Amino acid sequence: MIRNYIVTAFRNLVRHRAFAFINISGLAVGIASCIILFLVVKYEMSYDRFIPGNEHIYHVVTRIARPENTHDHAGAPVPALDALRTDFPQITTGALQDHSGGQVTVLGKDPNKPSEKKYIEGQGLMFADPQFFSVFPFEWISGSPALLNEPNVVALTEDMAIKYFGNWKEAIGQYILLDNVLTLKVTGILKNVPVNTSFPLSVVPSLITSKNNPELYGYENDWGNLSSSFQIFMRLPENIDAATVDKQLEAFSRKHYSNSSIPTKTNRLQPLTDIHYNAAVDHFGDHTVNKGTLWTLSLVGVFIILMACINFVNMSTAQAINRSKEIGIRKVLGGRRRNLFGQIMGETAVIVFISIILGLALAALCLPYVKYVATISEDLSIFNGQVMLFSLLLGLIVTLLAGFYPALVVSGFKPLLALKNKFSSASVGGVSLRRVLVVTQFTISQALIIGTIVAITQMNAIKSADIGFNKDAVLVLNATNDSLIQSRQKAFKASLLSNPDIKMVSFSSDVPASDNNWSNNFAFDHKDDETFSLFLKFADHDYFKTYGIGFLAGHGYPDSDTINGIVVNETLLKKLGITDASSVIGKDLRIGGRPWKPILGVVKDFRTGSMRDNMVPLAIAPWKEVYASTGIKMSGNNIKTSTTFVQGKWNEFFPEYANTSAFMDERIADFYCQEDQLALLYKIFAGIAIFISCLGLYGLVSFMAIQRTREVGIRKTLGASVTQIVILFSKEFTLLVIIAFVLAAPLAWLFMNKWLQNFSYKIEVGAGIFGIAILVSMAIAWMTVGYKSVQAALANPVKSLRNE
Amino acid sequence: MIKITNLEKVYRTEEVETIALNKLSLEVKQGEFVAVMGPSGCGKSTLLNILGLLDDADTGSFVFNGIEVVNFNERKRADLRKHNIGFVFQSFNLIDELTVFENVELPLIYTGVKAAERKKKVDEVLNKVQIMHRRNHYPQQLSGGQQQRVAVARAVVNEPKLILADEPTGNLDSSNGNEVMQMLTELNEQGTTIVMVTHSEHDARYSHRIIRMLDGQTVLQNIMV
Repeated sequence: MIRNYIVTAFRNLVRHRAFAFINISGLAVGIASCIILFLVVKYEMSYDRFIPGNEHIYHVVTRIARPENTHDHAGAPVPALDALRTDFPQITTGALQDHSGGQVTVLGKDPNKPSEKKYIEGQGLMFADPQFFSVFPFEWISGSPALLNEPNVVALTEDMAIKYFGNWKEAIGQYILLDNVLTLKVTGILKNVPVNTSFPLSVVPSLITSKNNPELYGYENDWGNLSSSFQIFMRLPENIDAATVDKQLEAFSRKHYSNSSIPTKTNRLQPLTDIHYNAAVDHFGDHTVNKGTLWTLSLVGVFIILMACINFVNMSTAQAINRSKEIGIRKVLGGRRRNLFGQIMGETAVIVFISIILGLALAALCLPYVKYVATISEDLSIFNGQVMLFSLLLGLIVTLLAGFYPALVVSGFKPLLALKNKFSSASVGGVSLRRVLVVTQFTISQALIIGTIVAITQMNAIKSADIGFNKDAVLVLNATNDSLIQSRQKAFKASLLSNPDIKMVSFSSDVPASDNNWSNNFAFDHKDDETFSLFLKFADHDYFKTYGIGFLAGHGYPDSDTINGIVVNETLLKKLGITDASSVIGKDLRIGGRPWKPILGVVKDFRTGSMRDNMVPLAIAPWKEVYASTGIKMSGNNIKTSTTFVQGKWNEFFPEYANTSAFMDERIADFYCQEDQLALLYKIFAGIAIFISCLGLYGLVSFMAIQRTREVGIRKTLGASVTQIVILFSKEFTLLVIIAFVLAAPLAWLFMNKWLQNFSYKIEVGAGIFGIAILVSMAIAWMTVGYKSVQAALANPVKSLRNE
Repeated sequence: MIKITNLEKVYRTEEVETIALNKLSLEVKQGEFVAVMGPSGCGKSTLLNILGLLDDADTGSFVFNGIEVVNFNERKRADLRKHNIGFVFQSFNLIDELTVFENVELPLIYTGVKAAERKKKVDEVLNKVQIMHRRNHYPQQLSGGQQQRVAVARAVVNEPKLILADEPTGNLDSSNGNEVMQMLTELNEQGTTIVMVTHSEHDARYSHRIIRMLDGQTVLQNIMV
């Protein structure tokens, strides 16, 4: 019997090729999308889960409570490490200090031999103590964590050892030079850390090395100092729960922090499994993902597969009309409802099976492109057990969803009516059901169309928005910063300016817009410290001209190596309640505990971060010791040769130092990487949704064309023109698309408005966007319906009437 | 074998009430060959459908092989049908997606006959109707006469006690029509009861008895000699 079903199923597929194509392609695209979304979501959910006992690992954060807000800072004060070990002896506590961006020079076997092999390590350069590896049992191939008790030693991951020395076995005992200052001996090799971790260790010097060089690495033994680069982790024994430790940490914080002042600080535990998903707390990983986004993606997957199933139901019930004779005969010959139900389910299973094979192939083809849309590991593959299991499960669910209703309808045919082809539309689920299904599909796709237009408009608006400074043709070099570099900066600048294509050069702690947020407490006009923090940038006097930052009042400061005057921004004045910018010129400002210095100028607000971030109160002052960025404004001609010229000069002046260089506009574009990905994601899924709903619409119009063959025949006999028939069909669909629009518009508006709240600079979601959406959907619907209705209209009426 | 008493069937639409069968009574004995004749709309197809358990009556009694079947549900009717009744239609009603062999095999599948035995039985009956050489063809590839032979083969493969034929020669030319009538006669001679609806006096002459119907009632019975 099964064989008979499968044979019939295949012959039916071949016989009704067009229907089969629509069904299978819709399902295959839906299944491929689901598989890819599954991979992406699963990958994101896998972060840090591979670490043995991850549920017992916690990150010690510092909760900072101010009158206006409370937030969790990722760092903990350096002395807290020893204090925690003393106060919580039963818990294993380890620390990690991030020094990513530092320079590594590969020395080799002889520590005194100079080397040209130098790298800026952008990620994974972190000091660690031996206990860190008790908390995180990362595997060592050579050596052991105990080696990190020594100063001036370093452990490398296998990949790093190969990068530096060609072979990890030969790396042991060789030397590297850190930031041109510290010679470190390689004593251990770590197994490569998986990519799905918030702890992408690569070069791991011992923490005691940093402790012994506090001035170099900011290892300040001070309870008042917090940096997100110094983080503490705990592994709780099985019998101790986090809530208990949190309680004890409150007492611990009262004991150690001088909490008499504002803000108050309390240490708390953040579960390891929260780190990758919590954007509010910094971490060392390459990105954070919101769990909400993952849910949205899963939901999109569900929607798409649902749309594909809706199509299937639509098409197969419509097709059932053509098959009623077959069903009738089977019933007359003694086929029970059960048999026919099984037959239709079997046919569905065959189609779903083919679609899964195609879907898997499609997903495998698309996977290499997924990395443009989502942050996933390069070596993620479709062909693993979990994906296969998921596909199987998906197949089962889709078969049930798509097959159940048609099977129920078809197997319920009255044999006599079926034999005589006497079907009213009601007996196969009716046009009204189909209308509901098509409206559902179009609601989803129009919501996605609106979402896409909003996302694209917003991203374009951001990219063309006035950021308050000039980002064009400014090359930025980043390097480490030490006295040697500082001593040669002036000469380097003069030599660069000898090139007529280079207009300005400025050294600074930071470019105008970045994700740095160096801030401090401050006081204004000899009053007490304000309750909010002041954000800081240190730069030489040419900073304002190099980046085209305009003044509202006053002027910049004269050339100086130390703070001789301060420039502030508009937002600071607003926060202080001052309206007249010129009134603050000459008044004094105190940053942290430093001496009072006069305000010399007020600049117009410019974006210090991305358009997501609010404007912050800002102070800019000269302070040579912290200049790590070089901004080079070019004329815009011969950019390429100028860039080569700059690198040549760098190598001439700073042969011991590597740098990373990028143009300012590229750096700013990087801010919106996630949003660009999201916009692309919208485009793709809107495309898929439109594709699937067009298939659905085509199915509906085909069904109606069959249903109304006789009506069309009679109308034509009575003199209706082709145009009139086409209008007859289109009227109906136009109405459906409008109903779907009425449903989709408010939904999309709500959702996208919520998304826009992420930006401090945002577009208005106006009528225009909705207008475009409805026009686009209408055009697509008409194109889909047009072909089939023209076909129906052109049919010979004699033929269609004779069929009756 | 068949005994119906006071059978009534009324088709209702919103405004119109059509009486298809009006207190009809009828008996068909085992081994009989009965032809039902009458003008269009007299109720002969309705009668055939009720006899074939494809449709049910509103009131009255229908005893099949000594069992009252008027109140049978669909499942019971399907069971009774597949074991006892074979159908031959005017428009053949073969399944286009199945080959000749598979079409004839279908009733055996539904009655749960094992594959090897099915093959034996189908081959046997295909030989009998002389269509063996086309066993792997599809219905569209056959002539009308051949298609009806396949339909007859399918009707008898399960060795039913009763064959219901609805204008079996209606779509055939006279020589093919005679061939089919010949086949039915042979089946009858081997003991199968046949009830046939027809418009053709010629075909009716093959039967033992002609029942003439008008307005849902039997008006005349001719016994053939």
